[in-house]
Amino acid sequence: MRYPKRIRRLSVPRRTAQLATAAMLVATTMAACGQDDGADSSAPKAPATIPELTKDPLTLSFIWFDWPPAHALEDFANAEYAKERPNVTIKVNTVPNANWHDAMFTQFAAHKTDFDIPILDSQHIGEAVTNGNILDITDFVKKNIDVKAYNPYLLAAYGQFPQAETGKRDENASMYGLPLLGDTWTMIYRKDLIGDKPPQTWDQMISVAEKCQADHPGVSGLAFHQANGSDAAAVTYNTVNGVYGGNLWNAKERKIEGVLNDAAGQEAMDVLVNKMKPLTAKGSGNWFIDEVNATVAQGKACIAFNWIAASGGLLDPKQSTLGTTREQILDKLGFATLPSQKTNLVPLGGMGMHVSAYSSKANQAEALNFIKWFERADIQKKWAAAGGVPSRTDALASPEFLDAGPFNQVYADSVPRMRDMWNVPEYARLVDIENTNVNAALNGAKEPEDALDDIAKEQQGVLDSGSGKGGGGL
Amino acid sequence: MAFISPALLLLLAMSVFPLLWALYLSFTDYSATRGGPAHFVWFENYTAILTSAQVHTRALTTLIYVVGAVTLQTALGFSIAYLISRRTHGRGLLTTLFLVPMMLSPVVVGLFWRFMLDAQFGVINSMLDSLGLGQVEWLTQQRTALISLIVVDTWQWTPFIMLIALAGLTAVPKYLYEAASIDRASEWFRFRTITLPLVWPLLLIAVLFRAIEAFRLFDLVYILTSGGPGVSTETLSFHVYKVAFLGFNTGTASAYGILMVLVVIVLTQLYLRYLNKLKED
Repeated sequence: MRYPKRIRRLSVPRRTAQLATAAMLVATTMAACGQDDGADSSAPKAPATIPELTKDPLTLSFIWFDWPPAHALEDFANAEYAKERPNVTIKVNTVPNANWHDAMFTQFAAHKTDFDIPILDSQHIGEAVTNGNILDITDFVKKNIDVKAYNPYLLAAYGQFPQAETGKRDENASMYGLPLLGDTWTMIYRKDLIGDKPPQTWDQMISVAEKCQADHPGVSGLAFHQANGSDAAAVTYNTVNGVYGGNLWNAKERKIEGVLNDAAGQEAMDVLVNKMKPLTAKGSGNWFIDEVNATVAQGKACIAFNWIAASGGLLDPKQSTLGTTREQILDKLGFATLPSQKTNLVPLGGMGMHVSAYSSKANQAEALNFIKWFERADIQKKWAAAGGVPSRTDALASPEFLDAGPFNQVYADSVPRMRDMWNVPEYARLVDIENTNVNAALNGAKEPEDALDDIAKEQQGVLDSGSGKGGGGL
Repeated sequence: MAFISPALLLLLAMSVFPLLWALYLSFTDYSATRGGPAHFVWFENYTAILTSAQVHTRALTTLIYVVGAVTLQTALGFSIAYLISRRTHGRGLLTTLFLVPMMLSPVVVGLFWRFMLDAQFGVINSMLDSLGLGQVEWLTQQRTALISLIVVDTWQWTPFIMLIALAGLTAVPKYLYEAASIDRASEWFRFRTITLPLVWPLLLIAVLFRAIEAFRLFDLVYILTSGGPGVSTETLSFHVYKVAFLGFNTGTASAYGILMVLVVIVLTQLYLRYLNKLKED
């Protein structure tokens, strides 16, 4: 009985500590439960008219993945937008490509973002809209944007949800974003090895690559994306699938099994794995944008495929062994639209600008003002001259754009040929299934036919389980 | 109590509470992005995980990885420690040099090994080529990708085993060796009957730590192979990440995480019992 009083009654510090512990647990629980408020999950609406803008210093933050257009955007916006809004600083936060989706959606999950303008891939829109993460800008677009100035499909791909039919736009559908950067694949070919005229059909392209590889030891016939991260291998398969007349899904019936793996789909997988893969460099099974560019710059590929927006570095003599000047490099490198086969489809790349539902009102107003400014005809041309790929038809036809790079004409010619993937809330899982299976087929870990059947079966399973709650997902 | 309460509160908020919260979520269909209240699904998530063929595949990959990496690290770590312990000069410098890999960030280690193992431009293939051995697709073939992961992990974590083994070796009383020498015991006999039995319990602790760490492997997989080719190097942790952050199936991911913690706790308990038994013997 050395401390009888302490047994009977808690000392003040001890009681304080216990109370503080309890308070901490309650606070933490409430913070954790904060997401369970049952809030309306549809996207909140942006005002049709831009609210009054602040005169105080303001930083407008973007989030994108780390690649040349992200840096070009920050430089361009700070130089040009500051002329009209000198109190605004533009910051483009970048993350590695593989973390892009996670970086945005984990912040959306916390209902707090350190960015005002998320640059979403076209296929991310469904997930963001369904979860109420970005503003519905339909009324804003109606009042502030000349929608007739765009190819309807470009406008739809970067902003509309539910997803538009390929090549079209539903004028009654809601809009959640506007184009920032257009993009598609370009075929990069060695004029000095295969001649000035690029192959016109996919079969012809394979034959030319085969002959080039045989004639030039040490140079591989083809180079393309095969990695299992991001959407690398999936876009490659989808491109070949489109060219050989396949379909990714039946959007109306939400059907993938039996559609993706039909005869055309199987033929595409066979072409990719059995005809194209043998023409690639050994160990290229994990290549994505940078690796393809590196092999082209080092003169190690006859024909390569890459996103146009990532191709600028190929003309930099400091990064290339093909010449000491841009002209010398262009004597050897040619850029062309993708060859056609049964169809002339090309993959739709690029991204749109959206407004975070969790930004402050002042920043949301500034974001809307920036978007309106960016979509102006004169600014789109300046963006083109600064290395961006605009979406307005007048900017695409302008000399500012067409003269800015040898691949820009390729983009302009490709616009009517574009096809996108699935823009649904389940996109991240669908693309992962396709990436891992196509990557497995390309690297001999799975038979091509089995890989395609597995993709169709697993993707159908994801679609059938719907965007329900968080159970499942294995 | 007042003095330790800030630390205690921090521990509760940052460690205990998230664990309890994850336990609660594991019985629900909660999704971090899709909002709305969580509904109890009780053991549905656990059943789905335990019966999933995809999880079984990842578990097998993880098992092969853990056994391969920890065995290799133990053999190499102990051997290096044994050789160092026999040196009288430069022991400190050698030990410090061997510890360098362990001090590096796994992401940094992963990145430079990714460059070194690149089939086209990597220094490893360049060396093999110059020896006339041809090129190996280290990171893009099923077998070599997993072996590469084991090798890289071994390169980084062998020093950890070495360090602990070295501590054990230096603690062996010298008089035992002197007595053995007087009895003209062979080197092998001395190693088998003096060194190994005395160092073994400490070595097992090191193995336990490494096995737990290897079981949770994520960073090297993420950087080196992204789980490929296909899903052939996807470990359990990498799979949990995908479930949690690609599909945002938070309920399932929580159950998956809790199961992994349980596996570690059960194995550790078995291991510790064995260690205690060893001590008693």
